[in-house]
This record gives sequence, C-alpha cells and structure tokens, in this order.
Amino acid sequence: MAATAVHAGGGLADHIHPEPQGFVRKYVFSIDHKIIGIQYMITAFLFMILGGMLAELIRVQLMKASGGLMTPETYNEVYSIHGSTMVWLVIIPLLTGGFGNLIFPVQIGARDVAFPWLNMLSFWIFPVAGLMLYASFLMGAPTAGWTEYPPMSLQGQAGTSMWAAAIFLIGVSSTMTGINFLVTILKMRAPGMTYTRMPLFVWGQFVTAPLLMIATTALGAALAALFVQREFGVAFFDPARGGSPLLWQHMFWFYSHPAVYIMILPAFGMISEILPTFSRKPIFGYKMIAFSSCAIAILGFMVWAHHMFTSGLAPALQLPFMVLTMLIAIPTGVKIFSWVATLWGGVIHMTTSMMFAIGFLATFTLGGITGVFLAAVPFDLHAHGTYFIVAHLHYVLVGGSLMGILAGLFYWYPKMTGRLMNETLGKWAFWLFFIGFNGTFLPMHWLGMWGQPRRVAMYDPQFQGWNQVASWFSFVMTAALILVLINALWSMRNGKRSGHNPWNARTLEWQIPSPMPYYNFKHVPSVFAAPYDFAEPLPYRGLEEELTGAPPPVPAAH
Amino acid sequence: MAVASVAHSGFAGYAEEPDQLYIETRELRIQGFLLFMVSDLVLFSSFIFAYLYLRNSGQGWPAGGPKLDIALAAINSIVLFGSGATMHFALENWKHGSFVKFANWIVMTIILGAGFLSGQVMEYIHIGARWDSGIFGASFYTLTGMHGLHVFGGIIYLTVLLLQAAQGKYTFTKYTGLTLGTLYWHFVDVIWVVLFSIFYLL
Repeated sequence: MAATAVHAGGGLADHIHPEPQGFVRKYVFSIDHKIIGIQYMITAFLFMILGGMLAELIRVQLMKASGGLMTPETYNEVYSIHGSTMVWLVIIPLLTGGFGNLIFPVQIGARDVAFPWLNMLSFWIFPVAGLMLYASFLMGAPTAGWTEYPPMSLQGQAGTSMWAAAIFLIGVSSTMTGINFLVTILKMRAPGMTYTRMPLFVWGQFVTAPLLMIATTALGAALAALFVQREFGVAFFDPARGGSPLLWQHMFWFYSHPAVYIMILPAFGMISEILPTFSRKPIFGYKMIAFSSCAIAILGFMVWAHHMFTSGLAPALQLPFMVLTMLIAIPTGVKIFSWVATLWGGVIHMTTSMMFAIGFLATFTLGGITGVFLAAVPFDLHAHGTYFIVAHLHYVLVGGSLMGILAGLFYWYPKMTGRLMNETLGKWAFWLFFIGFNGTFLPMHWLGMWGQPRRVAMYDPQFQGWNQVASWFSFVMTAALILVLINALWSMRNGKRSGHNPWNARTLEWQIPSPMPYYNFKHVPSVFAAPYDFAEPLPYRGLEEELTGAPPPVPAAH
Repeated sequence: MAVASVAHSGFAGYAEEPDQLYIETRELRIQGFLLFMVSDLVLFSSFIFAYLYLRNSGQGWPAGGPKLDIALAAINSIVLFGSGATMHFALENWKHGSFVKFANWIVMTIILGAGFLSGQVMEYIHIGARWDSGIFGASFYTLTGMHGLHVFGGIIYLTVLLLQAAQGKYTFTKYTGLTLGTLYWHFVDVIWVVLFSIFYLL
C-alpha cells in the first residue's frame, strides 16, 4: 500500500479555530476535545462515587442472610440504579467520551474531532441524563434491574419511565459521539497515517464507534417503546393485549450485547498501548489484535439471544447462538495470547499503570472463560439466575473495563495535567484493588454454583459466611478506589513534573508537550510506520518545533 | 465576500480557486450525515423488527388484516416519490446556477410533502384504530407516525434551506447544506418504500 496521504496538506488538517478566551468558553462550554474528554472523566468519576455507594449498600444489606438494612423493594431500586449507573454513566462514558476524546484525535494527528460542536452537545447531554436517572429515585426508581424486563417494568413505579427517558438521552449522546469519532478516524488522519499504522487504541475506538452508532439507536427504539407503553398504553410488550415481553428482550439485548463490547474494546486498545510501552517491545501481532477487534464487533451483533436461553427461546435457535457466542472466544483469545507474547522476553517496567494492565490480563481472562461456560446452554440453564452471572459480569466489567480504565488513568494522567500520579500510593491502590476485587467476586462463583439467586434482598443462611467475605473485601476495593481518587486530586498540584514523555512512549500524543496545547500540533506531522518498533527512530516527520518555543499556528480567517 | 447578492447574480463562485478547506469540510459533513442516516435507519429497523415479530407471534393481530386503504396509500406514495424527483431537480438547477428554478422546484417539493401528510391523515381517519388499541395500532401508528414526523421535519428543513438560499447563505459552488437536505429527503422516500411494502403489500 502506498503511503496514501489522507490530506494533501493545506486543508482541514491544518484548519484551526481561534483559541477561546474566558473561563466559560474554555472550560465549561468548550469545543476542545481534550477539555471535553476531561469533563467526561470528571463527571463519570462523580457518578462512579454514587454508583459505588449503591454497591456498598448492596454489600451491607447482604452481610446478613435476612437482609436488614433495606426493604426488598428498596433493595431492588438500589441494584437497578447501581447497574444502570455503572454501565451507562461510568464505564461507557469513561472509555469513549473520556479517554477516547482525550487521546485518539491526537494519536491520529488531528487537531480536533470532526464536529467539535456536536462533541460539546454530546457531553452536555450526559450529566443531564445522569441527573434524570437519579431523579427517578424521587418518583420511585425502577425495580427490575438494569435490564428492566417487562412485565415487571410495566408494573414498576413512575420512575421507570424517567429511567427510560434518561437512558434514551444517554443513547442520543452516545450515538452522536459514535458518528463524530467514526468520521474523525475515517477522514482526519494525518498524512501517512494509514489504517495499519494507527495506534491500537485508535483501532479500539474505530471499532467501537459503529457499535455506539448502531446498537445504541436500537436501544433507543426499545426504550421509546417501553416509554410509550407505560405512558400511553401502546401495546408493545403487554401479553394481555397481544404484545410480547420477549420482544423487549430481543430489542434490549440486540443493543446490550454489542454494548458489552463497547465497554471492553477501548480497554483492549489501552492495554495494547500500555503493555508494549512498559515492556519496551513491539506489540506482538499488531494486525491480529486490530482485526480480532473487528471480528468481535461483527460477531457481537449475532449473539444477543444467548442472554435469553432461560426465557423460552426456540431450541432450534439456541444452538446457533451458543456456537456463535463460543466463537467470540477465538478473537478474544488471539488478543490475550498476543499480549502475553508481547510481555515475553520484554524489559518489564513495573509502573502502576503496567501493574493494572497485567492485573487486567489475569482477571479479564477469568471473566472471559466463565463467559464461555455461560455460552453453553446446559450450563446457562443451571447458572443463569444465580450469582455466577454476577461474578462473570463483574470480572469482565470491573476486572476488565475498570482495570483498563485505571491503567489508562495512570498512563495518560501526565497528558492531562503535566504531572505524574504518585507511584507509591498507586501501587498500594493496585494491590488493595486487586485483592479486594478478587475477594469480593471470586466467592460469587461458588455461591452461584451452590444456587444463591441474584437480585434478591435475602438468602439462605447457609450462604452467609461467603457473603460476609465478599462484603468485607468489597470495602477493601472501595478503599482502593478512594485511594486512586485521592492520588489523582493530590497529584494535580503536588505530583512530580512529567515532561512531555515520561514513559518514553512512541505514539503521537507523547511527542507534544504535557498538558497538550490547544492546537495539539504546531505542524501536522507525517507518519511513516506503526508506532511500536522500539528499536527504530520515531516514524514521524514535522514534529521538530513541537517542544521548542516556536510560535503556535495562526487561526485561519475562516 | 459579497454573498448577499450572490444567489441572484449568477455564477459568483466559478472564478475562485478550488477551496481545499471547503472540499474537506463538505466531505466531513456528508460523511457525518450519511452515518446519521444509518443510525436513523436502525431506529426504523428496530420498530420494523418489532412489527414483524408481533405480527407473527399469532396473538391479537386483526384476523383478515386491518382495514387499510391500499389505493389511497398508492396515490400517496406516488406523491411522495414525485417530491423526491422535484427535490432532485431543485438541486440540479442550483448546481446549474438558477436560483429561480431551484426555488420553484423546492416549493413544489414542499407542496407534495404536505400533500403526502394530508393523505396520511386521511388514511388514519379511514382506519379509525387507536395507537393504544392493540398491536396493530402500536406497530402501524408508531412506524408511520415516525415517518410522518420525518416528513414534517423535512418540510421545515427544506423551508429553512430555501430561506437561507434566498438570503445568500449558499453559492453555486458551495452548497453542502442543500446537498444534505436532498439526501435527507431521499432518505425519507426510501423509508416509505419499506413501510409501504411491509404494511400494504405483505
């Protein structure tokens, strides 16, 4: 392939807006992708505190077999909002709007995303929707879990409609982000940045963007149908009037299964940046990692009904869904082996970020393997309503996505603030988190196998011992997250100055000053190779003035 | 830039150098708009799936089919497709530098669009079912209602484009907004082809 210049130069790649002056335009209603990324992160971390408090309420309730802290009704509200918060207000915004916005435009050598105003709009919908979700507590929050299956969600309190509206809005925001990111990656790469030279984090976003765009809209349809059913009596899901509760499950999971990959593919991308940097070795199997992401995304649209094996799916349909689901383990396995092979023989630098990345490999693999268990229909019929599911999903979402997010936070923090996070505190946080996390969710595997049902406020007293273990370890995990938060706040002023490239990394964002200047690049660079060949000089041209006192580019008069 | 009178004064854009920034911004906007239409298509597809699912679930679907007026719908379809053609002519005339012909064709498009909407209202009255009366009402009124809202939004959109063009916002070489409007209108047409087929022909 010739080094196709995406831009002939003199065009959009060089187009720049004048830098906004004044606090409001600079930090509040900003159209700068870096500021928007940080806004996303701060908001999502605030919602994470709320969602975490709900999680701790759940664990305190489950300390005693007879419950005791909350009524079963309140308990249902709490776990429903906990799940909704963590999926829609924490993990997805952090991975796409947060780290995505902050990093990937710089990594492709662009000055901003394709539609900066749309980006600002996407962000501002997000906190509004989040507050609406929490406002549903005032009206009687939904009680049917984050999946809100009818008929229970049809009978739920008024807050269920509020929930549907809030998630619909979040979906609109995600869809706009997806369109924005996809156009940016398709059209705004720097000269020479061919698809196979893009950093793997960009590949993660590139594959996630269409999922955001397509799957989220399907969810929007389902939520709209639920809303009009509840508010106007339109008979989509009501079996008494010819509707079908199963229809909701199809529509919901057609979104929510791809959404599982929205929550992990960007984290895969982060891990693929962090592991080679800290083992000083080219990533093993660059193309395999990139293309396996595509395979996962495509397969992800064909497996939604594996969530419905216990809902009365026709047996003839169960087998293909089971086989397709198991197939996903192949591209995922390709990634895991490539990452392990990247570590193999490398010069490993045990920074906090690297520790989280390696922790990710361990815990995500465990979550992935239990996923293959659950893909098997006979096992799923046995385990579906139990804590085994809870264990599996937290191993992939906390042990996978959140671990990736924390690795990314320690890795890219200098790019936001110009300072490093404290490594000692960070390592403490990692060990507390790793121990706390496994202590909380590992016992749930056997609790589930023994038959403790999920989503119930009380349980058989024989399970109390292990539930108390899980609760105590969950406090450790929470302490670790608080430690990360303290570290991030403290390091903003007191962290060690990082310089522009503290990790000696090779992707484009590390070749410009920290924090990143408004225009990203004084001159848009040309790219000659993928960024992972640690033995070679940097494959960029045109970056000579980035770290000098040369004047920034002049805004076009346009 | 003397934009104010450009629209009426002819070929103001042609003498200029090709504007790289404009070409690339145009590419971005068209690409983004196409993706927006893809996600909109998914919205319709989800409800189409819901309709087919409910129709085949074997409960509560009107026996012998609901009371649809296929002749009215066919005329209505021709009206809407006609408006697709007039919109095409509008943009072509703009490209050839004729504001007056453009304005005539786009007004024609708006009239045909409004005609289609009135036809839909007649059909709704004729059917006489309600949105909340069972699964036929749920699927038919949700899908055609969403499409009707798209047509209504499109009429407003085209009116705004016409006013903007009259005020000289677009030149005969720079008219991305008009291209997007045309794309949108054709998109609404295509959706109707699908809806007509699944409700009236299936």
